[in-house]
Amino acid sequence: MSAITTLNPKAESARQAQALAINISAARGLAEMLKTNLGPKGTMKMLVSGAGEIKITKDGNTLLHEMQVQHPTASLIARAATAQDDITGDGTTSIVLLIGELLKQADLYISEGLHPRIVAEGFELAKKESLNVLDKLKIPLKTNPIDREILVQIARTSLRTKLTLENADLLTEIVVDALLTLHEDGKPIDLNMVEIMEMMHRTESDSRLVRGIVMDHGGRHPSMPKALKNAYILTCNVSLEYEKTEVNAGFFYKNAEERDRLVSSERKFIDDRVQKILDLKKKVCGDDKTKHFVVINQKGIDPFSLDALAKEGILALRRAKRRNMERLTLACGGEAMNSLEDLTKDCLGYAEDVYEHVLGEEKFTFVEGCKNPKSVTILLKGSTKYIMNQLKDGVRDGLRSVVNAIEDGCVIPGAGALEIVTHQALTQYKEQVKGRARLGIQAFAEALLIIPKAVAQNAGHDQQDTIVKLQHEYANSKMPVGVDVTSGEPMDPKSAGIYDNYRVKKQLIHSSTSIATNLILVDEILRAGLSSLRPGAQ
Amino acid sequence: MAMHVPKAPGFASMMKEGARYSQGLDGAVYRNINACKELCETTSSSFGPNGLNKMVINHIEKLFVTNDAASILREIDVVHPAAKILTLASEMQEKEVGDGTNYVILFGSKLLENAENLLRMGLSQSEIIDGYLLALEKTLEILPKLELDVGVKLTKDNLNEHSQLITKVLQTSIGSKLFGYHEFLGDLVAQACLTVSRAFDDGVHSFNVDNVRICKILGGGLLQSTMVSGMVLKREVDSEITKVQQAKIAVFSCPIDIQVTETKGTVLLKSADELLSFSKDEETGIESTIKAIHDCGINVIVSSGKIGEMALHFLNKYEIMAVRLMSKFDLRRVAKTIGAVVLPKLRPATHEEMGYCDSIYLDEIGDTSVIVFKHKKSSISTIILRGSTEQVLDDCERALDDAINNFKALTKEQILLPGGGATEIELAQQLTAYAQKCPGIEQYAIKRFAETFECIPKILAENSGCKSTEILAKLYVGHQDNHNLGFLIARNQSTKREEQTTDIICDASDMKLNELYDLYITKKWAVMYGTKAACTVLSVDEIICAKPAGGPKPKENKGWDNDD
Repeated sequence: MSAITTLNPKAESARQAQALAINISAARGLAEMLKTNLGPKGTMKMLVSGAGEIKITKDGNTLLHEMQVQHPTASLIARAATAQDDITGDGTTSIVLLIGELLKQADLYISEGLHPRIVAEGFELAKKESLNVLDKLKIPLKTNPIDREILVQIARTSLRTKLTLENADLLTEIVVDALLTLHEDGKPIDLNMVEIMEMMHRTESDSRLVRGIVMDHGGRHPSMPKALKNAYILTCNVSLEYEKTEVNAGFFYKNAEERDRLVSSERKFIDDRVQKILDLKKKVCGDDKTKHFVVINQKGIDPFSLDALAKEGILALRRAKRRNMERLTLACGGEAMNSLEDLTKDCLGYAEDVYEHVLGEEKFTFVEGCKNPKSVTILLKGSTKYIMNQLKDGVRDGLRSVVNAIEDGCVIPGAGALEIVTHQALTQYKEQVKGRARLGIQAFAEALLIIPKAVAQNAGHDQQDTIVKLQHEYANSKMPVGVDVTSGEPMDPKSAGIYDNYRVKKQLIHSSTSIATNLILVDEILRAGLSSLRPGAQ
Repeated sequence: MAMHVPKAPGFASMMKEGARYSQGLDGAVYRNINACKELCETTSSSFGPNGLNKMVINHIEKLFVTNDAASILREIDVVHPAAKILTLASEMQEKEVGDGTNYVILFGSKLLENAENLLRMGLSQSEIIDGYLLALEKTLEILPKLELDVGVKLTKDNLNEHSQLITKVLQTSIGSKLFGYHEFLGDLVAQACLTVSRAFDDGVHSFNVDNVRICKILGGGLLQSTMVSGMVLKREVDSEITKVQQAKIAVFSCPIDIQVTETKGTVLLKSADELLSFSKDEETGIESTIKAIHDCGINVIVSSGKIGEMALHFLNKYEIMAVRLMSKFDLRRVAKTIGAVVLPKLRPATHEEMGYCDSIYLDEIGDTSVIVFKHKKSSISTIILRGSTEQVLDDCERALDDAINNFKALTKEQILLPGGGATEIELAQQLTAYAQKCPGIEQYAIKRFAETFECIPKILAENSGCKSTEILAKLYVGHQDNHNLGFLIARNQSTKREEQTTDIICDASDMKLNELYDLYITKKWAVMYGTKAACTVLSVDEIICAKPAGGPKPKENKGWDNDD
């Protein structure tokens, strides 16, 4: 028994070998669990939440989040994966696998009596060397104009590991086109300007990119037009409904006539605002029947105002979302007006097509055909909630991978090529290192191979066989080689168009090494008391 | 989240207490398939005209007697994750087409059942999925080619002229839920739908399911149901006048009363005279408003707000009929029926804002009073359903709803397929032939996919008490020279008697002669959703269930509310 129990009888503890065993088994258990998800041929996992909601996914991060891991070591790893997701948006499954494998390899040496500290030293050296290799493998991205093809390829690589083949290919095009629309040289891309809108309707293959905005509400007056062509758009944040004064106010009147006057004067200032909009409409549209007018308001519009607007054939939307106001002006131009004083034509945006789509109870308004939109919407369709969620997670990761590539200005050959190359480089590097630390490097090099191994295994090939073939091929050609998932043979990732993000791999190597080092250096797990509030618990 | 220093190694110790985890073929896949099979057993006996009803009592103790799969599944609240995926698919079918929900469940689960055999044979899940998807693609390619030649080519624009054909289509749909009444109800629905679609200039393009209303009134029998062109509302008239011919109507969304300010108002009176004159003023004010309305020719007022007593008095004085509707949607529908604009303020309507209606009257059906807005050229029609119990009425409503959705589907796509399982047998045959041409391992899966189609006529036959194998054999042989051969359940035509107890024949027969038509669009989506759901279930090999929310069982919570 450790000393802690004499100090606090309720404390739990695990020491030395036991502590290490717990850490290693947890890391390996988690890695084992996620291993089947890696790569384009990975299987799906079904998660059922406490409320009975179904989620079907193979995204590592989603899985770790929803699984409600309670094991201390496992939750540490899960957090590392979450950090990976936050920073790069991809590589979450890989990081869990790599940590598991690093610990497994370290365990081999530690059980033979090697001190964990020396293994850690080796890991540190190996990490530095791997990062060097990573830098050498960079494939710079052509800019100005940006090479669309390579972006498509990197998005495809990322998406195919998350979704079914057909959905992935469909979304790839959508994602790349969305970002290319937004991209301006020298300016960072704001992913918030890509709105993701879901419609539970038809099938996934009906998803598309809308160069404009889709809002999940519609006109609130039955006689407003449902579809307009050639429309001016007024984006505003002005209340078009009666609002109570902040102070307590009341009217005093003597007779019915006076009251009627008050009734109309009460509405007057709202009516005036509506009139301003109507005047503007007359000014810009004139008598031209082909020109139309749309009002999108962040605040409310009351029935009287709606009625007045509807009479003029104006489509008015009320209570638009705040984030859509910014996007609207970016998409169709114009300004978001906070007051209706001095409205001019310049304040207005323009869209070729504005129309309403009704799905059962829900209404959607499409603002499409904008000139040079700087904000776009990815419209996802799917028959069920879980398909929607899958697509949504996929799109998010796809967008991230493309943005990463643009920001990095380079990509890395994928399909496990990096791991094969690094393994080889580390084996050579090991010779230059003196002392027992080289065992740590050896372990690190072996651990890296888990990625191509898992990819091959999930595709139904023999892992050893594939690895041997790949190493042989690399030794001969000196070109980065990756796994071909359909045949299990070596192939050139460049010609197959399989690329990974530079920063994903960099982050992966960094954080997996530090977590694994931390874990093997733990020699005691302690937990303060208070665990047994309930009778019967340990 | 309380963590512990773990004791036992392994994955199970990592998860929160109460979570379940299952993995692999035995743990997850077979179990999922079994759950779907059980779901299918529940609904399959309700399939087709001779399907049996289920009695379902839902979580709020409401009783349903129905054979509509969508309602059964909704009310029994499926929890098993795999079965839920199938249920979701059928829900989606309900949303997309509105009919064929049972078809999705049957087809999906039979696919899974067949997949189980394949898995036991040694195929992997991804191979089966690939095969099924290939077969689905081929099916969607074959399906439109099986179009039934009915003599005329239906198009979007000539739907209105072929009421006879449409009636037959709708009868097929109702026949699968309310066999025996399908001829009568089919006629009714066809009339109602066509009335609506004829009211629009652009014909069927803007047909909306919402425009055919169903008004359920307890009492009488199903055969006493009628169709009214216009609206029927279960309400009473507020004014003394209860019947108006050639009505001119103003529709208001505000109360018919004295106008008030939004801000609180106070009357400031200094003497008794002022009080008297105030009331007088109010009276004259409202009288003048109502007189103005009367003067522009309006004789009916519809409002969604309160009708004040004073206003009512003057309405009666000027012989204006007043109707108050509680729902703003009803108000909009009424406005649509009569072509009026809803006015937000009490004022005389202009000529364009007014609505016109042939006749508006208060009627009593059974002991329920209803207001009928009858208009010959109305964009809304109402079916008044009569029935002896709530359950019967609800069930009829669902059947009619399906039929109306069928009409909507017809406006989108006019391809008709032979009903009664004839399409399925033909598909099965063509797909089997296709499978034999496929070189890869997926041909096993395609073959099974083809076989799955057999289940439709098979279940139809089984539910009618026939020997399904015999029928299937007959159908297969017959399909060599007649593609329209299907399983027929119909009243014996030769002894055409009026009673309900005529002989029913169940046998293989030509679908074209018997005029049983299915819609292409229903089948297309049903097959698609069914297959997709089955593939999703197959693609899962691990399930992680969190502990169900809601804490411990309510039994253990006894006494939480008690103070003792």
